[in-house]
Amino acid sequence: MMTTIMPEAILMAAEKYSANGAHPLTAMFGRDETASGVGYVIYCYFEFPETKTMDGFKVVFNPNGSLEYDSITHIVPAAAWYEREIKDMFGLVPKGHPDLRPLVLHESFPEDFYPLRKNVQVNAKVRGDRKFKVRTAKGEGLFEVPVGPIHAGIIEPGHFRFSQAGEAMLQLDAKLFFTHRGIEKAVEGKSPYEALPIVERICGACSIANTWSFCQAVEKICGISVPRRAEIIRTLLMELERIANHVGDLGNIPAGVGFNPAISLGGRLKEKVMRLCEEVAGNRFLRGMIIPGGVAMDVDEALSERIHEVVDDVADGVEDLSIMFAEQENFQNRVQTTGIIRSQTAIDLAMVGVGARASGYAHDSRSDFDYGVYSELNFKPYTKTMGDVAARLLVRIGELSASFEMVDALLDMLSVCGETELSVELNYTEGADWGISESARGSNFHYVALDKDGRIDRLFVRSASYPNWPALTVAVQGDIIPDFPLINKSFELCYACIDR
Amino acid sequence: METLMTSLGLNLVQGLLLLVFAPLVAGIINKTKAFLQKRKGASIFQEYFDICKWWKKATVLTPYTSVIFVLAPVVYFMTSLFAATMVPGFLTGQFSVGDAFVFVYILALGRFFMTLSSMDAATSFGGMGGSREVYISVLVEPAIMLAILINSIRYHSTTLSSMVIDYDGAYFTISAVLACIAFFLVMLAENSRLPVDNPDTHLELTMIHEGMTLEYSGKLLSLIHLGSFLKIIVFLTMFGALYVPINIPLAVKILLGAIIIGIVETLNNKMRLFKVRVYLGAALVLLLLAIIAE
Repeated sequence: MMTTIMPEAILMAAEKYSANGAHPLTAMFGRDETASGVGYVIYCYFEFPETKTMDGFKVVFNPNGSLEYDSITHIVPAAAWYEREIKDMFGLVPKGHPDLRPLVLHESFPEDFYPLRKNVQVNAKVRGDRKFKVRTAKGEGLFEVPVGPIHAGIIEPGHFRFSQAGEAMLQLDAKLFFTHRGIEKAVEGKSPYEALPIVERICGACSIANTWSFCQAVEKICGISVPRRAEIIRTLLMELERIANHVGDLGNIPAGVGFNPAISLGGRLKEKVMRLCEEVAGNRFLRGMIIPGGVAMDVDEALSERIHEVVDDVADGVEDLSIMFAEQENFQNRVQTTGIIRSQTAIDLAMVGVGARASGYAHDSRSDFDYGVYSELNFKPYTKTMGDVAARLLVRIGELSASFEMVDALLDMLSVCGETELSVELNYTEGADWGISESARGSNFHYVALDKDGRIDRLFVRSASYPNWPALTVAVQGDIIPDFPLINKSFELCYACIDR
Repeated sequence: METLMTSLGLNLVQGLLLLVFAPLVAGIINKTKAFLQKRKGASIFQEYFDICKWWKKATVLTPYTSVIFVLAPVVYFMTSLFAATMVPGFLTGQFSVGDAFVFVYILALGRFFMTLSSMDAATSFGGMGGSREVYISVLVEPAIMLAILINSIRYHSTTLSSMVIDYDGAYFTISAVLACIAFFLVMLAENSRLPVDNPDTHLELTMIHEGMTLEYSGKLLSLIHLGSFLKIIVFLTMFGALYVPINIPLAVKILLGAIIIGIVETLNNKMRLFKVRVYLGAALVLLLLAIIAE
């Protein structure tokens, strides 16, 4: 259970729970509990892989007292973004934080506006002129290259400021969160079922991961367990989503170096998987499948056969693609030693997903936590140690072949599963809990608190891109600016996931 | 005097002829690439449509640019056209304005103006593109000079047209083969093709030629693209006429050259920027060997 501490004790608690990075910081977020007389609260969740659980502490602030606390970023570097976000959203100030610029709320917001406090209305109209200074390096012969927020390709907004010494990147500052949608505020007061379509659309590419984490949390609060058939189908959907994403990335990464045949093959394979998803769920993004209590639709014999067929076909294509990568010397020359993340950096930033595993950090929710039917599949994380673009590419290929095998095993499990029940009824009760699942980009964490009417009091979403974005600015150091698109694509970071 | 006028006239006819066919060659390269990627691809006449489309669009000029910005595309296009009139190709005139040094530095003039204009709008992408273009052209220029020098030694003249006249179509020596390979490598670099530059990139940070043209729109953009297409066909013509030691019609050589560019661009990805010097160094060494063999 979460220990409750006073703001003065936060440093000691952080040191104790993180144990020098052995227990990665999963999430740190605020919650306004002034209505129940508690005050503002900061929750810190750490992962305990050895017991497959989470533990942590909550820091309580008296709303009439001091709203400052000692920043734990020096002890847990991964906390840097979370602390800035809490400051933006709740006005709790981390003393001694190395970078106290706003994170989520840019220039158009006024000072002293803390949207996630309960006294702010969801439709509050505000306009302001905050200061946001982009970080640059100064010196003789150095120059800046501003990129974005509007980009040449069809992607989401993000501003990158490169400080350059010729072609070499000295420093990169990324200004993100341009299209903050206020989703966490918008779902407050809604029932989990009403919030589901919103949660599902946080990110286009991770609908299954987001709904699964969300539903896990809700189901834990209600104290029910999901029927076995639903668990198998959920796991199957998750792996299909991973295949679609990873295959798409395999076609996207070579676009950074103009390796045309690979781009075309990757795009073709992704389309096949997305069309399969349409046959499974009626839409290309697998929306509407996972509901609180189970799944909405069954995967019958005919559909299983079809999944089997397409996945085998895609597996052959991925095989071709990996041979194409391996045999193209000029391509290997571009991806090897480019954009290196060392394993200590990955641990310090509590990185997740492919980015972490390519740096030798075996951080994978599928093995770190007990959910779905992964334990029956004997899942092992796939790691590489080099931490460069090539390693991230190889991890994706390795995970794909594991996913292909898992899909086959899951279809077998489904055919021998006697149960036909797909979901159970939920009686919403008061409470708060978390859910986690491994999306294609890494672990996806949701924290849900329901009030006594079973309506959402607080939803916190920490998608996989959140801890990995800061790693990008580390990875580019020492490389040249024409390699940036390649490095960026190799992480495949999502804007929508953090603009929640 | 009359023969000189006829010769000049014929040169002009050749220039216009190449201008008419230039977008087609670019279309053929793109079609080849699409075919090899199992895509349907755009029509081989697409580049004509694109040129017309840009020509019809309004030209947007930022108030921060100088006259160079408007002048550069015109100079770039005119130098390409000028190169097209003098490139040894379909004509075998007795008199010619086509001196090898004039040819190389006419093209350099166009490039010089494009580089100037890339800095004119003071955007970082333009500047990066310009600096990379200069880095590459510094390496390309000596290679082209050497390539031409081989023919000068062979034909005892620096007049381009005289090289064509003496060319007997069965000149199959080690020197000729080496020069053929080397000139092809240089041609890819000079025309901003893969593996040196990516002609169809949208990635601002990796652009070279495209980076320089990023601020252009409308008629000026149309001129730049036409100039680039013209440059490709000029180089393919020169490649076919002087460096392919096989006796087949020049038009066929140009067509085959375009298809080979398509194939090479499919098989390769863009190399690391700083490895371009190794690539062009290799071309240079091949050319030196060719000269020694000559």
